[in-house]
Amino acid sequence: MATVHLQADHRRFTGGEKVLAVNGDTVGDLIRELERRYPGLGPLLTDGASVAINGELISNGVFEKVDESTEVYFVAPISGG
Amino acid sequence: MPRTHVNCTVNGDEVDFLSADDTSLLNALRDELGLIGAKEGCGTGDCGTCTILVDGRVNCACLMFAPEAEGTTITTVEGIAQGDRLHPLQQAFLEGAALQCGVCTPGFLVAAKALLDKNSDPTETEIRYALAGNLCRCTGYDKIIRAVQEAAVEVNGAPK
Amino acid sequence: MTVTENPRTTEHPRTYKYVGTRPVRHDGLDKVTGKARFAADLDMTGQLRGAFVRSPHAHARIVSIDTSRAEAMPGVKAVVTGDDFAELDPTHPEFDTAVNLMARTESLYSGHVVAAVAAVTASQAAAAAAAVEVEYEPLPAVLTIDEAIAEGAPIANPTNRTLFSGDTEPSNLASVNEFGRGDVEAGFEAADIVIEREFRTVAVHQGYIEPHACVADCGQDGKATIWASSQGHFAVRAKTAAALGWSTDRIKVIPAEIGGGFGGKTTIYLEPVAVLLSQKAARPVKIVMSREEVLRATGPAPATKITAKIGATNDGEITTLQSTMHFDNGSTKGFSALTGAMSVASYKLPNLQLKAIGTVTNTARSAAYRAPSAPQAAFAVETLIDELAQRLDMDPIDIRLQNAVVEGDATAMGAPHPKIGFVETLEAIKNSEHYNSPVPQGAGRGVATGFWFNIGEQSSATVNLNEDGTATVITGSPDIGGSRASMALMAAEELGLAVDRITPVVADTESVGFTDITEGSRATFATGMAVVNACRELIEELKQRAATIKGVDVAEVDWVDGAAVIEGQDPLTIPEITAKAKNSGGPLTATASLNAAGAGPSFAVHVADVAVDEETGQTTILRYTAAQDAGTAIHPSYVEGQIQGGSVQGIGWALNEEYIYDPDGVMENASFLDYRMPVASDLPMIDAIIVEVPNPSHPYGVRGVGETGIVPPIPTLANAIAAATGVRMTSLPMSPPRLLAAISENAGG
Repeated sequence: MATVHLQADHRRFTGGEKVLAVNGDTVGDLIRELERRYPGLGPLLTDGASVAINGELISNGVFEKVDESTEVYFVAPISGG
Repeated sequence: MPRTHVNCTVNGDEVDFLSADDTSLLNALRDELGLIGAKEGCGTGDCGTCTILVDGRVNCACLMFAPEAEGTTITTVEGIAQGDRLHPLQQAFLEGAALQCGVCTPGFLVAAKALLDKNSDPTETEIRYALAGNLCRCTGYDKIIRAVQEAAVEVNGAPK
Repeated sequence: MTVTENPRTTEHPRTYKYVGTRPVRHDGLDKVTGKARFAADLDMTGQLRGAFVRSPHAHARIVSIDTSRAEAMPGVKAVVTGDDFAELDPTHPEFDTAVNLMARTESLYSGHVVAAVAAVTASQAAAAAAAVEVEYEPLPAVLTIDEAIAEGAPIANPTNRTLFSGDTEPSNLASVNEFGRGDVEAGFEAADIVIEREFRTVAVHQGYIEPHACVADCGQDGKATIWASSQGHFAVRAKTAAALGWSTDRIKVIPAEIGGGFGGKTTIYLEPVAVLLSQKAARPVKIVMSREEVLRATGPAPATKITAKIGATNDGEITTLQSTMHFDNGSTKGFSALTGAMSVASYKLPNLQLKAIGTVTNTARSAAYRAPSAPQAAFAVETLIDELAQRLDMDPIDIRLQNAVVEGDATAMGAPHPKIGFVETLEAIKNSEHYNSPVPQGAGRGVATGFWFNIGEQSSATVNLNEDGTATVITGSPDIGGSRASMALMAAEELGLAVDRITPVVADTESVGFTDITEGSRATFATGMAVVNACRELIEELKQRAATIKGVDVAEVDWVDGAAVIEGQDPLTIPEITAKAKNSGGPLTATASLNAAGAGPSFAVHVADVAVDEETGQTTILRYTAAQDAGTAIHPSYVEGQIQGGSVQGIGWALNEEYIYDPDGVMENASFLDYRMPVASDLPMIDAIIVEVPNPSHPYGVRGVGETGIVPPIPTLANAIAAATGVRMTSLPMSPPRLLAAISENAGG
C-alpha cells in the first residue's frame, strides 16, 4: 500500500480523484493496480513517465519498492539539453 | 581542373603543395598539410574558428583561396608554442579554464597572439574588440579575456 | 599564475583534498595546441565525402526523385533516398528522428533532407547533390503557433497524433496537458493586485561552433563503425540502428571530441545516412554540415506564445498563477510545452493552473536547448513577479524570498522539492557587492531567477589501476564542458591518488557499459556517481589484496588517504599493492553501473545593470552577476564556466538572436553574419557566484550545473530594460529596432 498522487491529466480516468491509496510492493504493482481500477490510465504512467518516490526523482522506476509510508508522484518525462 | 603549385612558409617550415584554384586556404592547410587546428565553423568569415596569421596579420583561412598563400608566411595554432614550451597564451588558457569544448580555442589563441604581438599591454576593451571576430558559445568569453590578461602579464615579464 | 578564489557563499560541509580544486583539465593540452580531433578532423583511408539534397519547400509532397543524372557524374559512388531506409511505424519512439534525417513522402520544412550522395571529393558530392532531380507538389504550410491552432488549419505533419490523447486523427497539436493545484479563481479573489500579460518568443539556435559531422565505415560484413560528434554515442548507436532497422551489435560508435552541443547534439541528423552511403559504396563516408545547413535544419529551440496571470496580496504573498503556454515543436511532436510548464517550480503558489500546448508546424524540428523550455516560461513568470514588486514597491529579491520554495514545497506536478538552495541563492545575490552598489546613473537594474530539474539516468564507469599505481577512469559520457576533469577529481578523492595520476577517458560503445546522453546536467552527477561506486569497489579489493600480501584478515585492514593501513605495520600504498597485483589475484579493476536517482534541482539568480540608448534602441550591459547552486563544485572553474556560458547564451537570446522566416517558411538569416550571437565586445565580465547547498543524494553533493544558467537572463534583462526605460518588453528579441519601436510607442502612448 502506498499513497499515489495523480496529475490533472490523469484524473479524467479516476473521476477526479487526486490522491489514492493503492496496494502493491513496487511502483509497477501500483501501475497495474491503477490500470485495473481505471482502464486506460496505466499507459500514461508507464510510457516514459518519471516517478518521484519520497521526493527522489527516478526515470523508469517500475521496480522501485514502496510501502505504506511511500508517497509516489507520477510526473511527465524530463530530459534536458 | 588545373592545379596551382603554391609555395609558402607555414609555422617556420617552407612547404609547397598543389591546389585547385577554388580550394580555400583552410582546406589546403587541413587536407594538404594536415594542420587541423584551424576549423571551419561557418565558411563565411563570421566565426573566427579558422583564424590564422598571414604575414603577421589576422585572417580567416576560409576566406582565402589557397593560391593566394603563394610567397606568404603563415602561422597556425600548431606554430605558436616554442618547441616544448607552450606560448604564454596557451598556458594561460589551460590554467584559467578558458576553454570548454575547445573547438574555437585555436582561433582565439591565434587572434590573441596577433594582439599581444602588436600591443603587449592591452586594456580589457582592447582585448574584447581584438577578439570580436571570434565566436565562443561555451565560455561567455569571461575566462578567455582573463586568460589573455594573464598572458599579457607573462609576456611583459612583469611580476605576478 | 594566480587563480581566483572560489567565492563560496555557504560554508562547505566537508573539506576535500581534490574535490573543489582547479587542476588543468586532462584534455586541455590537445585543445590549445590544435591536436584535438573533432569529427570533421577525422579522415579514413579511401574516404568519400557525402552531401545532402534538401527540400526548398516548407511543405510539399515528394512526387518523384530522379537520381540517374547525379549517379552518372564524376566521382559519384552512391546515392540514397527515403526508399533506402527502414520503414518504421509512426508509433516507434525513433520514427520522427528517422523521418527528420531523410524525408519519405513529404518535405515537412524548408531544408528537410530528401536524398544524399557520396563522391570522391566534397565538390563532386556537392555538384552531384545539385543534379538530383526532385519533383515536388507544394502543400499548404503551417508556419506559426497561431496558424497551427487556427480553426480549419491545414495539417502540418500527417503522422502527428496528440500525445496521451488517444486521438487517432492527425492534428497540429503535439500535446495538451493541464496540471496544477488549489483553486486559481479563489486565488485571484484573495489577491489585491492581478497582472496579466501575453509573451512571445521566436525560435533560436543552440549555436554550437562545430557543425554536425561524422564518418561512417560500413564493412562487407554488414557492420559499421561511426566516428561521431554527439552528446551521447550510445544514443547515436540506438537511433542509427532504429533508422536502419539494424541490430545494435552491427554498429560501433566512437566518440570524437565534441565542439559544443547545448542539447542540440542529443539527437542525430547524419549517421544513418552516412552508414547507408558507406554500405552502398563499400568505402568510408564523411559528412560535414555547412553552417547554413546547421541553421536551416538542426536545433532550434521552440518559439512560444505564453499568457500568464498572477495575483498577490498587498504584502507580497503570491496567491495564484494561471498560465497557458504554447510551445512550437516544429515539424514533429515533442514534449517542449510540458517541460516549459513543469519548470514553473520556484514559488509556493498555493493556487496554480498550467495548461501546456505543444504545436506542430512546417518549420525545422526543434531540439533540446539547455534547460529546454524553461527560459521562455521564466520570461513570463519572472517578468510578472518583477511587476508585482514594482507595483507593491517591494525589493525584487525580497518578494521572491517571501514566496520561494524550500524543501518539501510542491513542484509544478505536485512532487515535493528535495533539499534545494533557492533561498541561499537569492541571499547570495542580495548580499553581493553588485546588488548593494548604487545603480549607475541613467541605467536600470533587473533581477530574475531560474530553475532546472536536472536528471539522473543511466551511467557506467570502469576504473583500472595500472601496474605503477596510476589509474584510468573510463566512462561513456561525452565531455562537453570539462566533465573528464570532474571524473578524475572524484576518483582522486576516493582513491587518494593525485589527480594528475588519473587519466579520464571517454570510451566507445564497445569499451564501456551503456551510458545515457550527456544531457539534463547529468554527467558529473550520475556518471560521477558511477565513478565513485567503482572506486569504492576497487578500494574493497585493494584492502583484500593488502590483507593477502600482509597475511592478515581483511577485517584488520583500513583504507586511509590512499593506503591500506594495518595496525602495527607500515601502510601499503596503491603503487605498492599494484606492484604485487599479479601475485595477489591479478589486475585491479572495477566497474559500476546505475540508473541514478535523486538528481538535485539547481536554482540561479541573476542581476544586471543595463543602459539603453533611446535613440538607437541599443542595450549595453554594464554589469552582470550570476549566482547558482552547484550543490558541491567539483571543479569550480568549470562550474563558473557553465554559469558564465549559460548566462551569455541567455543574453544573446534576450537581445539579438532570432529565426527570421520569409512568407514561404524559408529561413532568411541562415548565417552567423545574420544570426547574431554575442561576441566579446558586446559583453562585460560575468561575475559568477557559486552557492553550495549539497545534494544529499550524491556522495559529494553534486547538483548538475550545466543548464540553469540560461534560464534567468531573458527576464533579468527585460526587467533591467523596464527599469531603465519604463517599457515592459513582452516579446523577443529585445533587439535595437524592436526596443526602439517599443520606446517610441510608449512615449507616444
